[in-house]
Amino acid sequence: MTNAWRAAGITYIQYSNIAARVLREALRTELRTDAAKRNASHVKFTPWANGRPAPRQAQSES
Amino acid sequence: MSFVKNARFLAARGARLAQSRAYSDEMKLTFAAANQTFYDAAVVRQIDVPSFSGAFGILAKHVPTLAVLKPGVVQVVDNDGKTTKYFVSSGSVTVNEDSSVQVLAEEAHNVADIDVAEARQLLSKYQSQLSSAGDDKAKAEAAIAVEVAEALVKAAE
Repeated sequence: MTNAWRAAGITYIQYSNIAARVLREALRTELRTDAAKRNASHVKFTPWANGRPAPRQAQSES
Repeated sequence: MSFVKNARFLAARGARLAQSRAYSDEMKLTFAAANQTFYDAAVVRQIDVPSFSGAFGILAKHVPTLAVLKPGVVQVVDNDGKTTKYFVSSGSVTVNEDSSVQVLAEEAHNVADIDVAEARQLLSKYQSQLSSAGDDKAKAEAAIAVEVAEALVKAAE
């Protein structure tokens, strides 16, 4: 593809993230606040040891 | 003996495959985004999608296709002839042999949910961000935002 963004090292996933964010920003006010929550993604890690989740990490993340 | 068995098995499988490959007269659309499911295997008449290989319309019996969505308006014409417009940020469109279609977007909203004034403000905001961007990456990111904002203004007007 001959896209300028691709030449600058941006992937389609990153392109997609920007496009989705701009769409959320352009929504009607009552929808925008809720939509903005989707801008960030959250990942929770729970390390497992001996077949059980390690409790310390799980507590600090919750 | 085992050859005959195999041949029978293969023939039966072939017949099943030929059957499942028959083009359907009905087009089943699944249109979903991270925020909402709009259609779940619903029968519709026509779908117009914006893609990087150009905007195209899909009717039943369309040739199987894969395409990458571009920010823009997806138009769905249902069986009563009613047209609904949605704005999609990005994603993919799949047209299968059995005339089922999947439109999967990262974010999609009814065009009526776009705030035109807000879209115009975003357009000028990102245009100035583009002109003041320093490196290539920041420039490219601002250019994407400008592209989306332009599409939003065009869709909402």
